[in-house]
Amino acid sequence: MKLIKKQIPLAIVLVFGTLTLLTYFVPHKRSVNFLETMNKWENIVAAFAFFLGLINLFYSHYTKISRKADGWGYSIFVYIGFLAIAIPAYVSHGKNMDGSVLTWMGWAFKYIYNPLSATMFAVLAFYIVSTAYKSFRIRSLQAFVLFAAAMFLILGNVPLGQMIWDKLFGWTSYAISDIVDWIMHVPAIAGKRGIMIGIAIGVVVTALKIIFGIERQYLGKD
Amino acid sequence: MLKEKLNALLRIDRRWIFLGLTVVLFGAIMRPLGLINKEISKDTRNAYDFMEKLPAGSFVILSLDYDPSTAPELNPQAVAVARHAFRKNLRVGVVTYAAGATGLIEQLFAVVPAEFKKEYGRDYIIFPYQPSAVAALTQMASDLYGIYDKDKDGKDAKSMPVMLGVKNYKNISLVVCIAGTQMPTYWVQYAGDKYGVPVMAGVTAISQPGYGPYLQKKQLKGLLGGMKGAAEYEHLIDTPGKGTSGIDALSLAHVMVVGLIIVSNIAMVILKYL
Amino acid sequence: MSDTFLIAGAWISAGLTIFLFSFLYKDNPFFKVAEHLYLGAGMGWWAQVYLYGVLRPKVWAPLMNHDWMVLVPTFLGLSLITQFIPGISWISRYGFTFLMGYGAGLELPTKLATDFVNQIGGTIQPFVNVAGMSSFALFNAVVIAGGVICVLIYFFFSVEHKGAVKKASNVGIYFLMIYFGASFGNTVMARFSLLYGRFDTLYTFSASKYLYATQFILAGLAVYFIVHALMNRGKKEIEPAQ
Repeated sequence: MKLIKKQIPLAIVLVFGTLTLLTYFVPHKRSVNFLETMNKWENIVAAFAFFLGLINLFYSHYTKISRKADGWGYSIFVYIGFLAIAIPAYVSHGKNMDGSVLTWMGWAFKYIYNPLSATMFAVLAFYIVSTAYKSFRIRSLQAFVLFAAAMFLILGNVPLGQMIWDKLFGWTSYAISDIVDWIMHVPAIAGKRGIMIGIAIGVVVTALKIIFGIERQYLGKD
Repeated sequence: MLKEKLNALLRIDRRWIFLGLTVVLFGAIMRPLGLINKEISKDTRNAYDFMEKLPAGSFVILSLDYDPSTAPELNPQAVAVARHAFRKNLRVGVVTYAAGATGLIEQLFAVVPAEFKKEYGRDYIIFPYQPSAVAALTQMASDLYGIYDKDKDGKDAKSMPVMLGVKNYKNISLVVCIAGTQMPTYWVQYAGDKYGVPVMAGVTAISQPGYGPYLQKKQLKGLLGGMKGAAEYEHLIDTPGKGTSGIDALSLAHVMVVGLIIVSNIAMVILKYL
Repeated sequence: MSDTFLIAGAWISAGLTIFLFSFLYKDNPFFKVAEHLYLGAGMGWWAQVYLYGVLRPKVWAPLMNHDWMVLVPTFLGLSLITQFIPGISWISRYGFTFLMGYGAGLELPTKLATDFVNQIGGTIQPFVNVAGMSSFALFNAVVIAGGVICVLIYFFFSVEHKGAVKKASNVGIYFLMIYFGASFGNTVMARFSLLYGRFDTLYTFSASKYLYATQFILAGLAVYFIVHALMNRGKKEIEPAQ
C-alpha cells in the first residue's frame, strides 16, 4: 500500500520533474514531442483543479445552510449567483456575443459579474485614502524616504500634480516627470532587483526540493 | 485648545474622508477639468515606437489577462494598443490566461476592429482561454496549434487566413501582454528570454515598479503602467479614450491624498513638539 | 437585445455596485447579499469558462474521436477531486505530483535564467561600455549595482549583521523604501482608477435613458438606513465600517 500511496507519487514527481527540466536543455525532436504531450496534459489537469475550489465552496456553504449557522440565509445567494451566470451560459452555449449583440451570457457578465468583481476591488480606494491620512506617519528617516518617493509618484502621475510642481518648484528646472523617471529606473530597480534575485534563489531551491521529494507537504498527511 | 482640535482632526470618523473622496471623484466626472496628460514616459514611448516600426502584416500576440477587477486600468490600454495594431495593419492573435477576461475581450473586439473595417479570421483571431499559461507558452515555441487548434468558437484556427505562415514564436513579431496578473513575467521567462520574441507589457500601476529590472535589461521592450500608461498611449495614437478622461478625474483625488498626508503629518508634528 | 434588458441590466449593475459600496457606511444585509452573489457569480463564470473552453474541446471532443490518450490527464485531473473523500484522498497525490513535477521542472531553468542570471547581467552590463558613458549614466549604473548588492546583503542572514555588513544592509533598506514608496504612490493611482471606473458607470446609469437607476437606488438605500436608524434608536449600534 505504501508503494501506491507514497512511493509511486514521489516517483511521478521525480520522473516528470527531471524529464521536463531536461527538455529545456535538449532541443531534440523527442524532447519536444514529450514536452508537447506534457503541455496538453498539464492544461487539462489544471482545469480540473478549479473544480476542487468549486466543490469546496459549495460544500462549505451547504454545511452552513444545513446547520442553520449564523447568517446562513446569505449562503443561499452563493448558489443564486452561481446560477445567475451558469444558466445564461448554458442557454448561450458559452458564447458572449452573437455578432455584435450581447447573448444572455454576455448580458449576465456585463451586468452581474462585472460590477460585482470591479466594485469589490474599487472599495479599497477608500481605505487607502483613510489609511494614508490616519497611519502614514513620518517618524524616521526611512519613513521619510518612503514618503518622498510616494509623493513624487503621486504628484507626477497626474496632470494637476505636474502643474502644482511646476508652480512650486519650476525654478529648479527639474520636471517632476524626470524625477519620477529617475526613481523608477534607478533606485527602485535596485530595490526590486535585490528582491527578485532573492526570490529566484528561493524558487530554484524549492523546485529542486520538490523534484527530489524533500519537500512533500503538498502531499498531505497519510 | 489647538491640541484638542488637532487631536479631533486626526481622529475624524473615516466616513467623512470616504465622503470627501466620493465628492471629489464624482464631481470631476460630472464636470471634467479638461486636463490632458502631455508627459509621455520613456517606457510608453518605447512601446509605441516598437509597434510603430513593425511592417504591415506582422503577426502580433495580444495576451489580455485582466478581469473586471482591474479593467478600468487595463481595458483602456488594451483598446489603445489594439487600435494601434489595426491602424498599422498588423495581424492580431488574442490569447488569455485569465478566466475572467473572456467576456471583456469579446466585448472589446466587438467594437474596435469595426472602426478599422477589420474582419474576424482575416485580420484577427481570438483563441479560447487556457488554464495553464506555462503549458501554452511552452507549447507555442514548437507548434502553437498543439494547444490552439481551435478558435474561441471551436472553428479550425490553422485554416484561417490570419494564421497564414504562423506556426510558432519564429513567426511572431511581438507579444503585448496586458495583465493584472503575473503573466508579463511568464512571457519574458518562457518566450522572450528563451526564444527571443520581443515582449512588451501593460500592467496595473501597482505592479509597474516591479517591472523596472526587466525594462533596464531590455527583457521588456516597453511598458504601459496603469491608467496613466493608457492615457499616454492614447495621446501617442492621437485617439483619446477612457484613459485620457480618467486621468483628468484622478488629478483631484491625487492632490487630495497628498493634502491629507501632509495635513496629518503637520498635525502630528505640532502635537509632538509644541 | 431590447432596451428593456439594457435598462434592467443598468438597474441590476447600479444596484449591486451601490450595495457593495454601502459597507463603507456600515455593515448591512444588502452588502452581505451582494458579497455572497459575487462569490457565486465568480464561480459560475469560471465554471462555464472551464466547461466550454477546456473540458468540452480538450477532453470531450477528443474522446468522441477515440483519442484515448486524453484519459490519462483526465484521470490525473479527476484524482484531484478525491481530496475531499476521506479514505481515498491519497489518490489526489497522483494529480498533484504531476502538476508539481511539471511545474518545478519548467520553472527551475527559466526562473534561473530570467530572474537570476539576466538580472546579474543587467546590473553588470552597463559597465562594459564605461568609456562611452556620460557621467550621469555611470552614476546611475553605480547606484543600481551598489543598491542591488546592499539589498542582497540585507536579505543575507547567514552572516551576522554588524560592522560593514550592517552599514551596507542599512543602505539596502533605503533602496527598498524607495521601491516600496514608488509602489505605494502607484497603488494610489491604481485604486483610484478602479473607483473611477465604477463611478463612471454609476454616472452613466444615472441618465434618463436608464430611468435614473443610480439616483433611485441610492435614495432607496438612504431610506433603509434612516428607517433602520429610527427603529434601532437607543439600541446598541452595529459596528461602523472598518
